Amino acid sequence: MKYLGLLPETLVVALAIGVMLAGRFGWLPATSRRYLPQATALVVLVALGVELWAGATVGSYFGGALLQDRFALFAKAAVLLTAAVAVATTDWTAEDSIPLGLAMPLLAAFGVMVAASAADLLGLWAGLELAGAAGVVMVALRRPDLALRLLVAGGMASALVLVGLAFVYATTGNPNLAGIRAVIGNEAPALPLAIPVLLLLGGLAVRAGIAPFHVAGLQVGLGASPLGAGLVFGLSAVAAATVGIKLAAALVEIPDVYVPYVQVVAALAMVGGGAAALAVRSPRPRLAYLAVSQMGWVAAGVSTHFRSGIGGSLFLLGAFAVAATCGPALLGRAEGGEPAIHGLGTLRPVRAAGLALAMMSLAGAPPLAGFFGELAVAASLAQSGSFVLLGLGLLGSVLGVAAVLGTLRVLYIQSPLEESRRGAAAALPAVTALSTAGAVAFCIVIAAYGVFGYPIMGLADQGAEALGLR
Amino acid sequence: MTMLAAIVQASPTPLPAPGAGVFTSPFLLSLLVWVPVVMAVAIAFMPNPRGRYDVLMKQIAFFTILGLMFILFIAYNQFQNFLPTMQYEEKVAWLPAIGVTYHLGVDGPGIVMLLLSGLIGIASVLASLGVRERVRAYFCLLLLTQASVNGAIVARDMFVFILFWAAAAIPLALLVLGWGGPRRSTAAWRLLGYWGLGTGALVVGVLALYSIAGGQSFDMDVLLKASLSPRNQIVISVAMIIAAATRLPLFPLHGWVRDVLAEAPVGVAVIVAGATTRLGAFLLLRTVIAAEPAAGHLLSPVLAALAAMTVGYAGLAALRTVDIRHMAAYLAMVPGGITVLGLAAVSPLGIAGSVLSMFTGGLAAALIAGVCATLSERAQSRSMTVLSGLAPRMPNIAWLLIIAALALLGIPILASFTAEVMTFFGAFKNQPIGAFAVAVGLAVSAVALAMLLRRVLFGSPNPDAPGVSDGSLGETWYLGLLAGGLLWVGLFPGGPKIPGTDFPLFDPGLLNQMTAGISDIASPYVAPTPGATQ
Repeated sequence: MKYLGLLPETLVVALAIGVMLAGRFGWLPATSRRYLPQATALVVLVALGVELWAGATVGSYFGGALLQDRFALFAKAAVLLTAAVAVATTDWTAEDSIPLGLAMPLLAAFGVMVAASAADLLGLWAGLELAGAAGVVMVALRRPDLALRLLVAGGMASALVLVGLAFVYATTGNPNLAGIRAVIGNEAPALPLAIPVLLLLGGLAVRAGIAPFHVAGLQVGLGASPLGAGLVFGLSAVAAATVGIKLAAALVEIPDVYVPYVQVVAALAMVGGGAAALAVRSPRPRLAYLAVSQMGWVAAGVSTHFRSGIGGSLFLLGAFAVAATCGPALLGRAEGGEPAIHGLGTLRPVRAAGLALAMMSLAGAPPLAGFFGELAVAASLAQSGSFVLLGLGLLGSVLGVAAVLGTLRVLYIQSPLEESRRGAAAALPAVTALSTAGAVAFCIVIAAYGVFGYPIMGLADQGAEALGLR
Repeated sequence: MTMLAAIVQASPTPLPAPGAGVFTSPFLLSLLVWVPVVMAVAIAFMPNPRGRYDVLMKQIAFFTILGLMFILFIAYNQFQNFLPTMQYEEKVAWLPAIGVTYHLGVDGPGIVMLLLSGLIGIASVLASLGVRERVRAYFCLLLLTQASVNGAIVARDMFVFILFWAAAAIPLALLVLGWGGPRRSTAAWRLLGYWGLGTGALVVGVLALYSIAGGQSFDMDVLLKASLSPRNQIVISVAMIIAAATRLPLFPLHGWVRDVLAEAPVGVAVIVAGATTRLGAFLLLRTVIAAEPAAGHLLSPVLAALAAMTVGYAGLAALRTVDIRHMAAYLAMVPGGITVLGLAAVSPLGIAGSVLSMFTGGLAAALIAGVCATLSERAQSRSMTVLSGLAPRMPNIAWLLIIAALALLGIPILASFTAEVMTFFGAFKNQPIGAFAVAVGLAVSAVALAMLLRRVLFGSPNPDAPGVSDGSLGETWYLGLLAGGLLWVGLFPGGPKIPGTDFPLFDPGLLNQMTAGISDIASPYVAPTPGATQ
C-alpha cells in the first residue's frame, strides 16, 4: 500500500505506452480505435481521483527521491485534470496521429508530475525534459523543421538549466532541495551563486516561453497541430514553472540572487504579452501571447518569495495549465487567421464559448479562473510592496482584455464565412459527443475555478507551505 | 431647513410599511446578483433555430428584470431605516488564504442604488425591445451587465467589489461593439481604455489598503475601518478618485462618454448613463468619504474642483455641438458633477443630498440619453441643423424631453430638486467657491438645454428633414418609467401616507430609507457641539 501514491503516475505512463504500442502494432480494430480518446480521458480521470484520494497522504518514495506532499498533490491534480480535459476537447480529426496525440499529453503530464514530486535537482531536470520532449514529438508529427528548431532551442535551454544546476550543486555541495536550502540559509548572497541562478532562470524562461525568451517556442507552437500547440504553450510551460517554483523555494533564504531577474522577466512578459496579443489578430497567436502574459503573472508571484505569493502563483498555474493547454485544442482546425472563426459562436456555440473563456481567463478577465489567480498574485505583490510590478501587470491585463474583446467580437458578432470561401485552414471543428462534453467540462472548470476557490486556493496555500515557505 | 435636517437623521421610531416582514430570504441579495446570470446562461444555451424564439428571449429578459424588481421592492419595503448597520447580510468564506469573503449587504445608500439599478434595468430592456439582430447575445450581455451592477452595489468585500466593477466593462464594450452606431469601434475601445485605467487604479488602491491593513482580509469591515496615516489615506483616496472619475465620469477622465452614449444602442445608453456610471459616485462615498475622513477633508476642494470642471465643461461642450446625441452625452455628465459636489461638501446634509442625487441623477441622465437617442431614431437624424419644430409631430417624446431637461436642472416637483437643494445647501457652507462654480456650470447647461428645446421642439419645421414619427408604446413606456420615477420621488419623497396618519401606504419613502447608514458615514464630518465634554 506504500506505493499507492504512485498509482496515478503508473496509470498515466502505462496508458501512454499502451496507446503508443496499440497504435504502432495495430492491436486495436478500427471500430474500437474510435473510442480510444474516450477511454484515455476516463483513465486519466480515474488517475485524478486516485491522486486526490491517495495523494493526500504525505510520504516519500525511492529513498526520498520523490516526495508526495501538498505541493505535489496540487500540481499533479492540476495537470491530470488538464490532460483529461485536453484529450476530451481535442478535435481528433485535426490531429496527425491519434495514438501519439493521446500519448504525448500524458507523457508531458507525467513530466510535470515527476518535477512536482522531485526532491532533488535530478528529478527536476528529468521532469522538465520529459515534458519538453513530448512537445517536440507533437510538433514533429506535422512540421519536422519546426520540431528541429524546438529541439535546438530546448537543447540550449536544457544546457543552461544543467549548467545552472551543476553550479548550484557545486556551490552548495548538495543535490537535495531541502539540503540546498539548509546550506544556503547560512550563506550571504554572492556572485558565484547569482551567475548560475541567472543561467538557470534563463533556461527555465525559454522552456516556460516567458517574454523575451518566448520567440523559439511560440513560433514553433504556431505551426503545430492544435493539441501540439496546447502542449507547447501549456504543459511544457507548466513544467518549467513548477521547476522554477521549487527552485525559488530552495533559494528563498537568499532572494537577492534571483528576485531581480524574475521581476524583470515577469514585467516584460506581463506587458509584452498583453501588448503583443493586442497587436495580432489571428486567434492562435493571440492565445499564445496571452499565455505569455499570464506566465509573467506566475513569475511575479514567485518573485515575492513568500508563502502567499507562491501560493497565489500555484493557484494561478492551475488555471493557466487548463486554459493554455485546452485553448488551442478548442480552436481546432480553424488556423486560417481571424476569418476562420467568424461567427463561430453561431456555428459551434459550445466550442466558441470554451475558446472565449480560455482567452478571457488567460487575459485575467473577471470572473474567470485567471482573474482570481492574478488577483491572488496581485494581493501578494501589494503585501510585498511591489507596486511597480503590480501596475505593469495590471497594464498587461488591460491590454490582454482589450485583445480578447476583438476576438469575442469576431466569434459572436461577425457573420460566419460562406461555406464556399471556407478552405482547409478555416475548416470548422468536428462535432462529436466527446468534444462537446470536453468543451462543456472546460467551461465549467474555468468558470467554477474561482467561484469554488475555497478548497483549491487552500490546497495551493498548503502547497506553498509544504515547500517550507512562511 | 427643518425637513432637510430631519432627513439626515435616522427615524427614532420605525413605522413599518404594511406587508413588511412577510417575505424573508437569507439569499435576497444573492438572488439580485445571480438570477440575471443564470437567466443569461439559460438564454445563451436555448435552442433558437432561425431566430424563432427571439421574442421569447426578450420576454425572458424582461420578466427576469421585472422579477428582480419585485425582489427589490420587498427588500426596499422591509429595509429597517432606523438601523445604521448593513442589512440582508450574507457572509461566506471564499478564499480564506488571501482573506476573501463572499460578503454582501446593503445600507441606505445601497438600497437607493439598488432601486435605481432595478428601474434602469427595466427601462433598458424595454428600450431594447426593438433589437432585431443577434437577440440572444444582446440580452445575455444586458443581463450580465445588470448582474455586475447589482453585484458591485451589494458587495461588502473589496475583492468581490472589484470583480463586479471590472466585470461590467466587458459586456458593455461588446454591446457597443456589436450593436452600436457607425463609430462603435472607437466608442468600445475608449470605454475599455478608460474603464480599464479606472479598474487598474481601483485595484492598486484596494491592494495598497489591503497591504497597509495587514494583508489579512479584503472585507470592507476590516479595510475601510483600518486606521491609516493621513499620507496613506491620501494616496489611497487619489487612486479611488481616479477610478471613480473614469466611471462617473468626471473631467478630465470623461473621454469615453461622448462616443459611448452617442454610439451605443438606446438600451445600452440608458443603462450606462443611468446605473453603471453612478457606481463611480458610490465608490467615492464608500471609500473616500466614509472610510478616509482625513483624506476626505483634505481632498474635498479637489473633489469640488472636479465637480465644477465637469459641470462647466459639460455645459460648454453641449453648447458647441450640433449632434443631439453628443449633446445628451455631455448633459448626462452634469448630475455626476452635482453628486460629487455633495460629497465634497463633507457635511451630513451634503452627503445625504449626494446619495439622493445618485438616484435622481441616474434617472435624469438615463432619461436625457434615452430620449435624445429615441428622438434621433424617430426623426432619422442626429443633426440639430436638420431637427427642428418636432413638438407637434412627436408630442410624447417632446414632453419627455422637456421633463428630462427640467430634471437635469432640478426644477421643483421633480426628485432632482430635493437632491440639488440638499447638495447645494451642504456645499455652499463648506465649499462655497466650488458650489458657486457648479451653479455657474449648471446655468450654462440650462442655456444649452433651452437651445435644444427651442431649436428641436419649438423651432420652425424643416421641410427638407426626413419623416418623423412619435415614440412607440415601448419607447414611451421606458421613458415614462424614468420620468415617473423622478416625479414620484419628487412628489412623495417621504412616501405616500394614509390620510391623517403617519402610516406609509406602500412606499416607506426613499428619503426615509436612504437615511440608514448616512449618519454613520457623515459622523466624522459633524462639527463638535460647543461645550461638549470628551
